[in-house]
Amino acid sequence: MKRHIAAVALLVCVLALPAAARAQGRGMQFTVGGVGAQQTVQSHVDQVTDRFTGLLLGAEGSLVSDRFVVRLRYGEGRINPKAGSSAAARDVVEGEALFGLRAVPWLTLWVGPSARAYTTGDGDQRWLIWTGRATARGTLLPARMQTFVEVWGAFSGNVGTPPLKAGGRGAYGGLEARLGEASAWWGRLGYRIESPHAAGLRETVESLTLSLLYGLPQ
Amino acid sequence: MNRLFAVGLTASALLVPTLARAQSATALLDQGVRAYSVREYDGGAWLLRRALAVEGPNALGTIDAARALMYLTATEVARNQRDSALAAARRLIVLDPRYRPDAQTFPPQVIAVYQEARRSAPSVSIRAFGDTAIRPGSDAFVVRLGATTAPEVTATVTGADGRVVRTLFNGTIRDSVDLRWNGLDGSGNAPPDGRYAIVVTPRRSSGTTGGAGGSWTLRLPLELARPAVDTTPLPAAPPDSLFRPERGDTKGAMRALVPGIVAGVAIVVLPKVVASGEQASNARLIVGGTVTIAGIAAFLAHHPGQRLPGNEQYNRNLREQYERNAAEIARRNADRVRQGKMIIRPGAPSLVTRDTP
Repeated sequence: MKRHIAAVALLVCVLALPAAARAQGRGMQFTVGGVGAQQTVQSHVDQVTDRFTGLLLGAEGSLVSDRFVVRLRYGEGRINPKAGSSAAARDVVEGEALFGLRAVPWLTLWVGPSARAYTTGDGDQRWLIWTGRATARGTLLPARMQTFVEVWGAFSGNVGTPPLKAGGRGAYGGLEARLGEASAWWGRLGYRIESPHAAGLRETVESLTLSLLYGLPQ
Repeated sequence: MNRLFAVGLTASALLVPTLARAQSATALLDQGVRAYSVREYDGGAWLLRRALAVEGPNALGTIDAARALMYLTATEVARNQRDSALAAARRLIVLDPRYRPDAQTFPPQVIAVYQEARRSAPSVSIRAFGDTAIRPGSDAFVVRLGATTAPEVTATVTGADGRVVRTLFNGTIRDSVDLRWNGLDGSGNAPPDGRYAIVVTPRRSSGTTGGAGGSWTLRLPLELARPAVDTTPLPAAPPDSLFRPERGDTKGAMRALVPGIVAGVAIVVLPKVVASGEQASNARLIVGGTVTIAGIAAFLAHHPGQRLPGNEQYNRNLREQYERNAAEIARRNADRVRQGKMIIRPGAPSLVTRDTP
């Protein structure tokens, strides 16, 4: 199943590249890239806390015009319980689809859903959170190095079946550097933390991310 | 009756010269011929000269001009102006070397003057085919040189100052030869608008060619003009506001430092806000610390007096891009001007000989 999803994601990326190139010809810019994330998860169910760690791989892309941005991200992997925990390992799939408005050159406001699902011994648990976000960017070295910080809060959301009302907050920050003089490739080191919650449930997910991007991140 | 007509004709021509100027050359020619026929030679000479002086689209054609010059020759003979008669006859021979006056129309002394002019005039004529529009370098303006002998001549296009713009012909004329000028000077460039001339002279080695004793110049005036061509204005140079500082300053250094410090601290602190009560991992310290160090490094790279190679390169690219754009637009403009048509308007040819009065 996971391989099937990965293949579909790869196919979508390949098919999207020509469209993105055409968009660039019309004065729009695009960014595509791959991301690896080392995740640390603290999963609370009532008073029980399980800790997991594992690696996720994925892809992301964005399409940027003068005022608007669309951003997609997808990742999947497996997280394993830390020593001493009796919980089972989880297969994790997560993603987000965001629409952004570039309010000022250094600030973008976003809205869109963020989803995270994993399998447990008892079945699947799916989190779907509608978020509002703000991303601030600062330039350290023009056209060579920049930093960013993003914070988000939930408008609404649900988890499980039957669905429980869910909420949450999160943040993401890091450093982006151009890989070589006048290169189109950028590297990103980031830290992401998300903490969705519902009645009796809380998932705190921390990710140390390393990304390779083609195109100026915006 | 004829005298009354002639007096009236002369008076009207003298008193209302503007009206006469407004008349067509053909009408002036007819009136001049009529004046000659009624022996009103002074008025006739004036009218014929007026007819020959008309330029542009109303000017006399070759046949009418030859007729006008022949009657002018006859009129000047009748007025006992022998030099003027010879000059008119020479103009006629230049215009049309094959012209032969009608012995039934003109008295023997007029025919004799014509023959004398013919003996003393060079046997070369030049003829243009009216106003011509050409694309310099692609099309050609054509004039025809004619000769009843086989003189060796040189034909050049010269400027108003006498400078040779282009040599068109250097050789022997056998009957006739078409000179083709493509509108370019000897260097391959289109000369500026203005007055030029095609000048034909005997070659030094054949100085005795023709019947004028070897010293003559045949001249066809030309006027060059180009209609206005739409060109693209050159772009303005990039304003100073677009250039980045090439040396670090305190302001730039702080601008580099603040985002790094703020983002680094935020990354370390935000987990406390987002997930209070949770024990955050050390990943935030790795990333937050890296961002902070990068901010400090950027600050040092921007410290006052420090060269900023990135900004230098950016400014260089900006200047080069502007210069490339300006050069490209200038090249396109030059192409448009070059491809624009040049209008060449020939005037009346003239002949200068050593014994021209």
